[in-house]
Amino acid sequence: MLLELTGVEKRFGGVIALRNGALSVDAGEVHLVMGENGAGKSTMMKIIAGLQRRDGGVMKWRGEVVDFANPVEAARMGIAMVHQESLLAPHLSVAENIFLGRELRGRFGLVDRAAMTQRARQLIAEHHFPLQAEWQVERLSPAGKQLVEICRAIQHGTSLLIFDEPTSSLSESETKEVFKIVRTLRDRGTGVIYITHRMDELRSMGDRVTILRDGETVHTEAMSTLSTAQMIRYMVGREVSALYTREPVTPGAEMLRVHNFSAPPAVKDVSLTVRAGEIVGLAGLIGAGRTELCKAIFGLDRNARGSLWVNERPVQFKTPNAAVKAGVALIPEDRQKTGLARELPIAWNVTMAGLDAISPYGMIRHAAEKTITAQSIERLRIRCDSGAQKAGRLSGGNQQKVVISKWVSRGAKIFLFDEPTRGIDIGAKREVFEVMDELARQGAAILMVSSELPELLQVADRILVMRHGRIAGELPGRTTQEEIMRLAALDTTEQ
Amino acid sequence: MIQRLLPFLTLVVLFVALSIASPHFLTATNLSSVVRQTAVFNIMALGMTLVIISSGVDLSVGSILAMGGLMGTMAMSKGQPILLGVAVGLATGAFFGFLNGLLITQLKISPFIVTLGTMGIVRGLALVVSNGLPVHEIPKDFSYLGEGTVVGVPFVLLLLVVCALLVHFILENTKLGRYTFAIGSNTDAAVYAGIPVKFHTNAIYAICGLLTGLAGMIEASRLMTGQPTAGQGYELQAIAAVVIGGGSLRGGEGSVVGTLIGGFIMGLLANGCDLLGINPYVQQVIIGAVIILAVSVDELRKRRTV
Repeated sequence: MLLELTGVEKRFGGVIALRNGALSVDAGEVHLVMGENGAGKSTMMKIIAGLQRRDGGVMKWRGEVVDFANPVEAARMGIAMVHQESLLAPHLSVAENIFLGRELRGRFGLVDRAAMTQRARQLIAEHHFPLQAEWQVERLSPAGKQLVEICRAIQHGTSLLIFDEPTSSLSESETKEVFKIVRTLRDRGTGVIYITHRMDELRSMGDRVTILRDGETVHTEAMSTLSTAQMIRYMVGREVSALYTREPVTPGAEMLRVHNFSAPPAVKDVSLTVRAGEIVGLAGLIGAGRTELCKAIFGLDRNARGSLWVNERPVQFKTPNAAVKAGVALIPEDRQKTGLARELPIAWNVTMAGLDAISPYGMIRHAAEKTITAQSIERLRIRCDSGAQKAGRLSGGNQQKVVISKWVSRGAKIFLFDEPTRGIDIGAKREVFEVMDELARQGAAILMVSSELPELLQVADRILVMRHGRIAGELPGRTTQEEIMRLAALDTTEQ
Repeated sequence: MIQRLLPFLTLVVLFVALSIASPHFLTATNLSSVVRQTAVFNIMALGMTLVIISSGVDLSVGSILAMGGLMGTMAMSKGQPILLGVAVGLATGAFFGFLNGLLITQLKISPFIVTLGTMGIVRGLALVVSNGLPVHEIPKDFSYLGEGTVVGVPFVLLLLVVCALLVHFILENTKLGRYTFAIGSNTDAAVYAGIPVKFHTNAIYAICGLLTGLAGMIEASRLMTGQPTAGQGYELQAIAAVVIGGGSLRGGEGSVVGTLIGGFIMGLLANGCDLLGINPYVQQVIIGAVIILAVSVDELRKRRTV
């Protein structure tokens, strides 16, 4: 056995993040770790990788009790982690990042740049990564950065590699490449711990799975004998249907019309309409221009051209402020960067977009703010101590609900949801879908970008597929993943 | 909670310690002179509090202070009434503050760089306008602004209290104040929420300039001259007061109460050092050390609660 954790504990002040963490990983095994956000997965991984110290319990590495004070000690033992968010030096090159902290030395102890670049090139070529050793990391997409992290881990010859949601920002083909690498590593005898929220990845990847709930290991079993329903039950602790199905609504009046709309270079000549009560899915590969389209509609792109109609009236949004005033809301893809003011109270986040309504003569009516916050917490089932709590302290799913409530409480009517379920757990996903459904039933028009095809199929009334900045086609809500992928990636099969 | 009160406790301890250490400390003359000395920084620091909460910084306040005082006194020396002169000083401050805001929002350059530039520009303009010479022909009654008393209380203290209440009200109860926190905590999220970020940023810097203009008039009144070289280094004092009081240069944090405590800690330190006959060179070392100490204690507190 490579790694064994029993009864591992971790406390942050009065909060217990992990109380009974157990995990065993063998060499040559892909071990999945699952659980909702806040279940203690990340804490457990950080303890294994030496980023945090445990407060109790036993961790054995190759049979010996270990306690890593820092990631360097863990790395010396052969443990490395590919992080969810990039921990790279943005101004350095790909090659320099791969060797960061462990530079190859040449004569006189100076850094041997040529050797590093050469080795990096080799590594990239071996795995067919769409990277170049000389590229500056800052310019890479999130996916590219993830690949650099993987290169880094492989280069330093690890016996245990931890992947923390590696594919959450990767495209289909890049995901396949990551799977291939994981399998190769396993076949070479490396132990792999793999964290993911994506159900479809599990079956093809994992040998065994360990499920955490509320800071405790609740179950470990071979992947082949565990059904998806059982897995979800262990994770949530109660019966939850994996499938959410939405009763379609008869669409009402047209609320948003986009016509011959371009936002160079990402969006080209897009036309679409969304009607009241509708949830329209927007599918496509990473880089197809979906996020850029949403941003351009919302007034965030000065170069956007074409026409927009809201409630059948022509409009022009030069700033998000204008879009917001017209009743449009954007729930952005990157919650931390553009959705949430983490350091501010939940209440202030909730009323951020709708402060005008409760501030006659520019003065905030605090009583009204309290009422709105309490209503939002109840309506969206935001799990928190009070509205005064800092928004950044909530779990991912609850943070997303705060972002959504900002628009719901303002009374927005046209919603652009950009990857609304990214990085949130199954229970919260379902709740987000329920909110979207409720909004639609009350007459809102919703455009939903998602890279998770099963979700689009569950939620959307019809699905538009984007490819290279254009709408490649429209499909009914009851279509198949294959149909969507065919449209999304058509040109590669055409040639 | 105790750590949140730390700046206040420090102030109390400092006050008690100085009362014991020096017989000259707890006297009406000394205390009113401390109040008068610190009022100028404190009023500037109030404006700086808004700017710093919005994740900005204003290095040009020392220069704006000089320009405001200069324009106000020049108006008076040309025969304008005192009140109009004061108004000119305030308007000058607000104008240059607004200019800072415009440069930051329109050119999309960081506040540090913009105000580093305007620090030089405004100082230079003040010297050009005045030919480098101070303005002396000022009506005698103007001295009331800096030196007068109302039933024994220094007039500047009343001004400081009024300004502090106003800024506190803005931060706690107005949309502008809330947006200041929102912009400072996460500017992108503020833009995405439809907040008119540029408009409010301009307003924040204009208010900072306005308060600096007032500080400039007080300084001019205390010296009874309009000095183009006044206020050099004051920007750092104002920033220090905000930061000691718990303001964060990362934005989204700060309070009027904190800033006032920070300002008075600085004021008492300087006064105490004078009274105890500590070498002025050593004073600078002490004040610098206090700034670092205060901020590191505050950082520790934040890290523990995260």
